[in-house]
Amino acid sequence: MSSKMQTKRLLRELTQLKKTPCPNISLQSTDSLETWFVDIKGVDNTLYANENFTLQFKFTREYPIEAPEVTFIGNVPLHPHVYSNGHICLSILYQYWTPVLTVDGICLSILSMLSSCEKKELPRKNDVYIKKAGPSPKDTAWIFDDGTV
Amino acid sequence: MAQTPNQRPFGSASSLVSLCNIFIMKVKIKDWKAVAGWRWDVPDDDVCGICRAPFDACCPSCKIPGDDCPLIWGECTHVFHMHCLLKWLGTESSQQQCPMDRRPWVTAS
Repeated sequence: MSSKMQTKRLLRELTQLKKTPCPNISLQSTDSLETWFVDIKGVDNTLYANENFTLQFKFTREYPIEAPEVTFIGNVPLHPHVYSNGHICLSILYQYWTPVLTVDGICLSILSMLSSCEKKELPRKNDVYIKKAGPSPKDTAWIFDDGTV
Repeated sequence: MAQTPNQRPFGSASSLVSLCNIFIMKVKIKDWKAVAGWRWDVPDDDVCGICRAPFDACCPSCKIPGDDCPLIWGECTHVFHMHCLLKWLGTESSQQQCPMDRRPWVTAS
């Protein structure tokens, strides 16, 4: 299901991404306009240099008024804010979403979150979380207590 | 003023006058129609941050740009298509904040 606003904006973002790609971000496939797979590559001179990850974006029909659902799939980075099921604890994906954020903006935020990491480790209570969490991280009541990222 | 031969452009003044006399027609203007263009007072190529469409086009829900699909300015100076901003402010998650700076939205008067 899509809405006019969602379709028009996603098509604009798609054109923009193809025309002026951002470094370390590349569109993998967009078989359907509602689900995108975006490859991101760890930034040089960071703990994730040369590592490749894939982000899955699912857009509801209310996008961009509503945030997309963004998760890591496949190879999930070992990071204190990324649970081993691919869910990402990042405020702009949930309570701090605003409709002026874009796919490349989200990818940049995630790259910057990875780049600022000083120690590769699982989030606290990763095991508890992945047992309790539903399929969508948007259903999780997130608490953002780390102001350093 | 002294003139060298290659500074004289198109012959003498008197020969120009006689040329004009040949080509001038007597025209009376009976009616005229003015055509004007308009655009929003925003920087060129600027797009609405919410729908990403140019301000000079309308929001995704409208067909014709203009008074029926106006822009709205906040006191924070940020500007959006009014319909786009109202959709955002109509959600609980917006907390009535400007999408750009998350300050409480106050429409500029």
